[in-house]
Amino acid sequence: MNDAWDESLKAYFLRTLPLLCSIILVMMSYMPFNILLPTSIHPAMGVICVYYWMLHRPDVFNLFSVFCLGLVEDLITAAPLGSNLFQLLVLYVLISNLLKYFNGKPFEVMWVGFLPAAFLSMFARWFVVSVYYGQFLPLGMLGFSVLITVAAYPIISLVNVLVQNKFMADEV
Amino acid sequence: MKRRRVLFMQLSHIRLLVKKFALVILFLLAFVLMLLNKTDTILIDKTSSVATSVFSPVIDVLILPARGIAEVYDYFKDMRLAYQENKLLKAENRQLRIISEKARALEIENRLLAKLLNYTRPNEEEMVTVRVVAEEGDAFSHSLIAYTGENTTVKKDQIVITDRGVVGRVDTVGAMYSKILMITDINSRIPVMLEKNRVRGILAGDNNRKPKLEFTPIGSVINVGDRIITSGVAGTFPAGLPVGVVSEITKRDIRVTPLADFDSIEYVKIVSYADVEEPETEVVNAANPEAEVADE
Repeated sequence: MNDAWDESLKAYFLRTLPLLCSIILVMMSYMPFNILLPTSIHPAMGVICVYYWMLHRPDVFNLFSVFCLGLVEDLITAAPLGSNLFQLLVLYVLISNLLKYFNGKPFEVMWVGFLPAAFLSMFARWFVVSVYYGQFLPLGMLGFSVLITVAAYPIISLVNVLVQNKFMADEV
Repeated sequence: MKRRRVLFMQLSHIRLLVKKFALVILFLLAFVLMLLNKTDTILIDKTSSVATSVFSPVIDVLILPARGIAEVYDYFKDMRLAYQENKLLKAENRQLRIISEKARALEIENRLLAKLLNYTRPNEEEMVTVRVVAEEGDAFSHSLIAYTGENTTVKKDQIVITDRGVVGRVDTVGAMYSKILMITDINSRIPVMLEKNRVRGILAGDNNRKPKLEFTPIGSVINVGDRIITSGVAGTFPAGLPVGVVSEITKRDIRVTPLADFDSIEYVKIVSYADVEEPETEVVNAANPEAEVADE
């Protein structure tokens, strides 16, 4: 009985691991240290995590995970509530439709594919938040954010790969 | 039995429908949240306060190893520049001693004149130094989260400064952590004035690194390089705190470069503009006013 309970608990934990890992990475992205770049613009960690996990483990990273991650990010930032959620939902729609094209493709292809996906989702958020405030937000900053996010993708993917290989390799 | 089956079918139908339209429902929820954010500020304020209290301790714990790495990095960076900096600091110290003496003399003179004019001094301010645990500064928002502990003097809308100048104002106060809205954020509006000619205006953020100076009187003389300080209008902020320098003047707007370095904020001060009772005004001893000031 106990073993069965342990097994199911372990399985549940493993299924929520991508979401937990993503939430931790999102929180870490708001740390006030700028060692590599002298700027307070951080990579959009939620976008990176949703893209990675949806391409590699769409079975465990579903719409509910996207919703939770978006909500957490919304609650941390001072941006309008719901805007991060909207951004990640746009990304979810994009990846859901492009999943079959990326299946089994090498990392470089996925990285190249990340650029338009990140740009479109972040641009969609930029548009909605601009409408919300009734004025255009700085496009230059958005462009810089997209570039930093795309540049950070391989490093953050490495963390996600480590989590996937270490804890989820023998998951059925 | 039949009734139970119908109920079961209804539940499964609802579940199927929710599953089918989950994406649409979540998109709608995102828009509803944004609308709520725009209209119901009390509910959003409370939610934000609770969320800040929940997530900030986690970020604070996650920060520990990163803080260690950053300290080691800073140590080696500082060591490299220590000799040069030491020479510069010694020269600066000599200059500051002279300025300090002058400032002391001016303060005494200012107090004497204030007493002679029976001038009511503005409220005294108290400062609380707090540690920054999270920051963001992208196209969507510019804010900080700071650890304020169980400090009861920290309240919404209090001004936040560094040793260089104004950073922003307290937006949300949580149990142990507070969210600070930076002056560059699109929601930030701060009453300011030009230091040299006291021309008043509003410093409005628009998520750019340089906020705009708005609502200045038509025909007022504003030049690039003019210093901007808080005006103290509306009484919520103390007057005279350095904010920035006018850096761009175009036909469309006037841009101000903040004095505070937003890219490396570790500690900030929250200025509590407390109400203090004014001491009873006394007649200044005209024969020896300095002695009276010294007695104080």
